Amino acid sequence: MEDQHIPSSPNQLDNFFNIVFDDAIRSQIRSAASWARICALCAFISAGIGFVVALFARPSATLDTDGGGVSSLVRTTTILSAFISGAISVFINYWLYRFATSTTKGMDAMDSVKTNEGFNDLRTYFKILGVILIIVLSFVALGVLVFLISLGTRR
Amino acid sequence: MENNQQESLLQFHVDYDGGNILRETVRWSRFLSIVWIIGIALGALVFVLAGSAILAAFSTMSPVLGGLASMGGVIVVVICLIVFAVAGYVVFMLYRFSTLTRKAVDQQDQALFAEGMKCLKVYFIINGVIAGLSLLFSLLSIAKLFHS
Repeated sequence: MEDQHIPSSPNQLDNFFNIVFDDAIRSQIRSAASWARICALCAFISAGIGFVVALFARPSATLDTDGGGVSSLVRTTTILSAFISGAISVFINYWLYRFATSTTKGMDAMDSVKTNEGFNDLRTYFKILGVILIIVLSFVALGVLVFLISLGTRR
Repeated sequence: MENNQQESLLQFHVDYDGGNILRETVRWSRFLSIVWIIGIALGALVFVLAGSAILAAFSTMSPVLGGLASMGGVIVVVICLIVFAVAGYVVFMLYRFSTLTRKAVDQQDQALFAEGMKCLKVYFIINGVIAGLSLLFSLLSIAKLFHS
């Protein structure tokens, strides 16, 4: 009976950390979430504008010399790349928007489930950015390698 | 006693799942910030070593950069310094958020957690301003497109 451990306060329960979301921290997180929402919304609108600009942009006059063959190829490539980059941007920022929404709800309702959901969305956002960065760095490393090999074969 | 009860009603704890999620979040954000710090440092180094050659090469392709080059080297250097400083500060805030939050969760330190969240707020404020400015430029480009 004496060995039985009874937690004296909720802080000592195993499931909880000794960190609380007090007034000051909740205000900081709310502010971070509001700005994160602004970032996400700006990114959504920018992606749409980028696509519209690519769709309606006039091809360069210098590309029209061969009867429009190169021009239409460049136009299609521009539209396709704008669509792909816009889709990636929307996909990434969707998680940022979710973070903003869930965390604000969690902070307002003092709901740890919603707050955890929000931070989990932030984790996914950073994770996707990290994976994209790894892919880009791999391509850069590959490019540098190919460049060095081509330099070596020329000598 | 009553005050303590009131205080506990106005706050809630980070639970076990939340702590794990925060640990995983800061792992990725730290990776991102370190790679960006290296990238910015390399970019600054390349600009210092070959800035004039890069500007000369770009001025043949873009009239805007050509105009910048003709404005004088000092202005170009100042603009680049501002860009590098802002980018560096943003990335530094992300790094501080990562390290402070990680330490706060590991040591269960309330003050470090507050400092970490403050850094996250600053990171998103600067990013929000940059996103707003880039949206403004996008709107200008679309206005230009439909007016021409």
